Amino acid sequence: MADLQQPPVLDIRGYSLDYEAPNGTFHALKDINLSVPRGEILGLVGESGSGKTSLAWSIMRYLPKNARETAGTILLSGEDLMKKSVSEIETMRGKRISMVFQDPSTSLNPTLSLGTQLSEVLTRHRGLTRRQAWREGEAMLARVGLKTPAAMMQRMPHEASGGEKQRVVIAAAFACNPECILFDEPTTALDVITARQILDLFVELQAETGVASLYISHDLALVARTAQRVAVIRRGEIVEQGPVNAIFAQAQQAYTRELIAAVPDPRRRLVETRPDVSGDALVKVEEVSVHYGRTGFFSSLTGTRERVTGNRAVSLDIRRGEILGIVGESGSGKSTLAKAMTGLNRFEGRIWFDGRPITGLKDMDTAYRKDVQIIFQHPDASLNPRQKIREILSRPLKLYGSAAQLDQQIGDMLERVRLPRTHADRYPHQLSGGEKQRVAIARAFASRPRLVICDEITSALDVSVQASVIELLLDLQKQSDTAYLFITHDLNLIRQIAHRIAVMYRGDLIEIADAETIDSPDRAEYTRRLIQTVAPPAGATHPSS
Amino acid sequence: MSASYILKRLMMIVYTLLVVSLIVFAITQILPADAAVMMLGENATDEALEALRQSMGLNAPIWMQYGQWLGHLLQGDFGHSLRTGQAIGPVMFEALGRSMLLAVLSIGLMLVIAVPLGIIAAIRRGRIADMLVSLVSYIGVSLPEFVTATIAVLVFADLMAWLPPTGYVPLTENFADGLAHLVLPVCVISIILIAHVSRMVRSELVDVLHSDYIRAARMKGLSSGTVLRRHALRNALLPTITIVALDVGYLLGGVIVVEEIFAIPGIGRQLIVAIQARDLPSIQAGVLIMAATYSIVNFAADILYAWLDKRIQYD
Amino acid sequence: MTEFLKRLLRTPQGAIGLVLVLLVLIVVIFGPSLAPHDPESLKPLARYKGMSAAYWLGTDQYGRDIFSRLLIGARATVTMAVLATVVGTLAGAVIGTTSAFLGGRADEVIMRTIDAVMSIPSLLFALLIVNLLGSSTANALVAVAIAFAPGMARITRSVALSVRKQDYVSAAIARGESASYIVMREMLPNVIAPIIVEMTIRVSFAVMLFATLSFLGLGAQPPAAEWGLMVSEARRYMHLSAGILVWPSIAIALVAIGFNLLGDGLRDALNPRT
Repeated sequence: MADLQQPPVLDIRGYSLDYEAPNGTFHALKDINLSVPRGEILGLVGESGSGKTSLAWSIMRYLPKNARETAGTILLSGEDLMKKSVSEIETMRGKRISMVFQDPSTSLNPTLSLGTQLSEVLTRHRGLTRRQAWREGEAMLARVGLKTPAAMMQRMPHEASGGEKQRVVIAAAFACNPECILFDEPTTALDVITARQILDLFVELQAETGVASLYISHDLALVARTAQRVAVIRRGEIVEQGPVNAIFAQAQQAYTRELIAAVPDPRRRLVETRPDVSGDALVKVEEVSVHYGRTGFFSSLTGTRERVTGNRAVSLDIRRGEILGIVGESGSGKSTLAKAMTGLNRFEGRIWFDGRPITGLKDMDTAYRKDVQIIFQHPDASLNPRQKIREILSRPLKLYGSAAQLDQQIGDMLERVRLPRTHADRYPHQLSGGEKQRVAIARAFASRPRLVICDEITSALDVSVQASVIELLLDLQKQSDTAYLFITHDLNLIRQIAHRIAVMYRGDLIEIADAETIDSPDRAEYTRRLIQTVAPPAGATHPSS
Repeated sequence: MSASYILKRLMMIVYTLLVVSLIVFAITQILPADAAVMMLGENATDEALEALRQSMGLNAPIWMQYGQWLGHLLQGDFGHSLRTGQAIGPVMFEALGRSMLLAVLSIGLMLVIAVPLGIIAAIRRGRIADMLVSLVSYIGVSLPEFVTATIAVLVFADLMAWLPPTGYVPLTENFADGLAHLVLPVCVISIILIAHVSRMVRSELVDVLHSDYIRAARMKGLSSGTVLRRHALRNALLPTITIVALDVGYLLGGVIVVEEIFAIPGIGRQLIVAIQARDLPSIQAGVLIMAATYSIVNFAADILYAWLDKRIQYD
Repeated sequence: MTEFLKRLLRTPQGAIGLVLVLLVLIVVIFGPSLAPHDPESLKPLARYKGMSAAYWLGTDQYGRDIFSRLLIGARATVTMAVLATVVGTLAGAVIGTTSAFLGGRADEVIMRTIDAVMSIPSLLFALLIVNLLGSSTANALVAVAIAFAPGMARITRSVALSVRKQDYVSAAIARGESASYIVMREMLPNVIAPIIVEMTIRVSFAVMLFATLSFLGLGAQPPAAEWGLMVSEARRYMHLSAGILVWPSIAIALVAIGFNLLGDGLRDALNPRT
């Protein structure tokens, strides 16, 4: 596909970028060499802080004041972008080089209609009148697969879904037939099925127009499925680059191999334990429903009411020592059950724990609390920023166990989650994201619980950190035989670690299936769509499998 | 914006006025002032006082007096001044008219100055212009009206003799003279508002300019001017509506001081006179009218905001 | 503590604000002993003097030393303002936290009532209360405290509600912590910082409000050296000597600026994540 005869459309040579900070210079990018020829998608993969987004802004010539470009050139079709004036750059952006952003709900102006925001690119760069631009905009929306383009033009951003908005953003990026487009995590903010559709659209439009594309992502699996070549960036340096198949088959660098290994692959099961199927289930959830919202005093006078259903009559059970996964999109109600089980939400229905009925907050005594622990998604939010790790970890000991030799116990807890004992004296903000989540895990395991609810606990973490947290969780599970309720949107991950998987959709439990047979064709229609959507890339075979 | 939202907001105004009327009534009831003594003077006989109390209903239980007072209010009857004996309603509303003129001119002047200042400070963030604006606004919010008013009179009326020091001339009577009398009061009231609102505009605009959609607009190749005009200003100035409406509470307080110093017969001055004379019905009426003005302005601001910003989905 | 000071001094607002407020505190504590003259002594022969070595800031209409009067008056003006703000904040904090804690209908009724009370301008509210209790410094204090309580209640409630939604509070609930532990150890430390910031900024409003009350004749009474009263008294004589008017005005403005700047500085310094 890539045309190698012509010079590359985007050509970055020996580029280095520093940021001047009050406490010294930070080298954001070091000697970057990348080129994207016409017709190619180059994937740029890196974890948070790797410098991948800095590079995008360098190409777009949109750098903060404290940025210093110390070496190199950035060429677009042979023209040096670094030598262009501000007004020259302004005439190029959107016309010859454009960009698609991560989150369409923040990258569109909330007070302007979608049509205005699309057609302004056309009036600016193609010299169309407003009316022409509007008509052209409708045609563009039809091209990106929107069913009712004329109506969509009139809508405000909040009246469109995430997927629709991202299609509008893509339409604007392709509007002037640019030479080069940067895609900065274009699907990260979307649900899996929508994300897949957006990526398919992108690949289709790219093939049609032959635009040189730089696809920036943290997700190696997505890049592998979309790009022809991939470059891996770490701490501002390109570690390795080459054709996707070659990189996956024989990565030269240890870091690349580590990244590839960290990508969840459902074909590689990580869990080795078996749940105890003899006797009664540890937890039985019977017809649990949760409703949100209340009627305000003044609203009730005017007769307006609002009630949102979080869960509709969900029934399931969890065996002793079982890892039960719950998957679903955002808003599917997968976290609602977790909140009900920990007394954070009112619920109707009944929960049996170890033969004991739990109907609400009042039944959740210390013994129940000790047995059922929860870990939240964002360790930043779940650890009190004004308490030292020591105080955070001392709470479960004081509540459920003995507070004797507190320092000794806290040190042991930290070691159990593979953190140095000295971390007890730190505040949460002095720890990295992965370290903070380990502290939260240590806190949950302090009481030797029988059930730990993990609510999206790895989705705020980088893949390599996620892999190590998962490894830790599975080790702890092997040692203690704790049951997990593992809530996630990542189907590939849950297929690796769960015994059974519950699929939820808009508040309903669709079905529960064995993790090993979740991809069987007998599954419910929604489950099959999910499985299809996130199927692992064909070319990406795992080195150890 | 639904009809039920408007209805709900209107009911909140009713509730507000009910609470305010209770507070005002309670305060004026505890006041160690006897309306009968005030009307007949210290030397009146006990019999005369008793007869008047009887006829004014002052011997009835407090809640009944409150009910009566409220009943009269609902018919638009604010009662009669203990000081002058005149009907309060017409006097107060005429005074309110003068105060509104003062307030509207002040808000107008404030907007004309504060919004551009805030915009300049935000665009030139961290540069000299920004620091100057923030210095001026720190000083502005730290000068009480009575200080600026007194100094303004000293400088522009006494020393320079450019403007009349105090007094009020209706615009209908002599437009130029009337306007000249309004210049100092309007400037004085505006100072604190300018300081406050320019800071708010600056911080809103700084936030908006850092938002993803502004970056996205720049990446479409729109010029800085277009980005500012079409994408940033509108979103940054919308919240100013709410801020200005809330500042009306402060403005009304400022009006009291400024009317007192410049001898403008507005509602603020009526209130001060009533408070000093312990003229209970006038105090009650004045406070209630002020609270009603504030509530109505905020109601209007909320409706305007909801109308301009279609995002907001009220229940 | 030293680390906190360093963070506070890092911003110009914090540094200047701290210096100004410390200066004011020194004057409040040591003012009377620093005063070069007796602030009450009348010298008919030394009226309307300009700045000189003997009278640093000149003398007023009775020949009293303005500098000494300002030093003495700081106590009346600043101490009262701080006290009134603290009392008003505490009252507001209790109402706001209770409202947030109760939630539901009770919360809505309390907050709507607070909104209603706030529709009376705080100056007018203070005037009414002073008038009710009689003009005196102590009554002015009560008036300002009451006038501030609704605003503080609103702020406390919104901060408490946002903290209440944080996962660390959810984690504590899910852990089965007692209500008192959750409020005292998990919530309060996170609620208190923004309240201190707001309170500091409000001290400057209180200084201005006090001065205004005295100016209108409803706060301190002559011959007190309260700054607002000094401005009020100077009005009649200001064309004879501008100093009588200007110096107390500057004093009021400096204190107000100091607390304003310190509040903004604290806002940055108290944020644990920066």
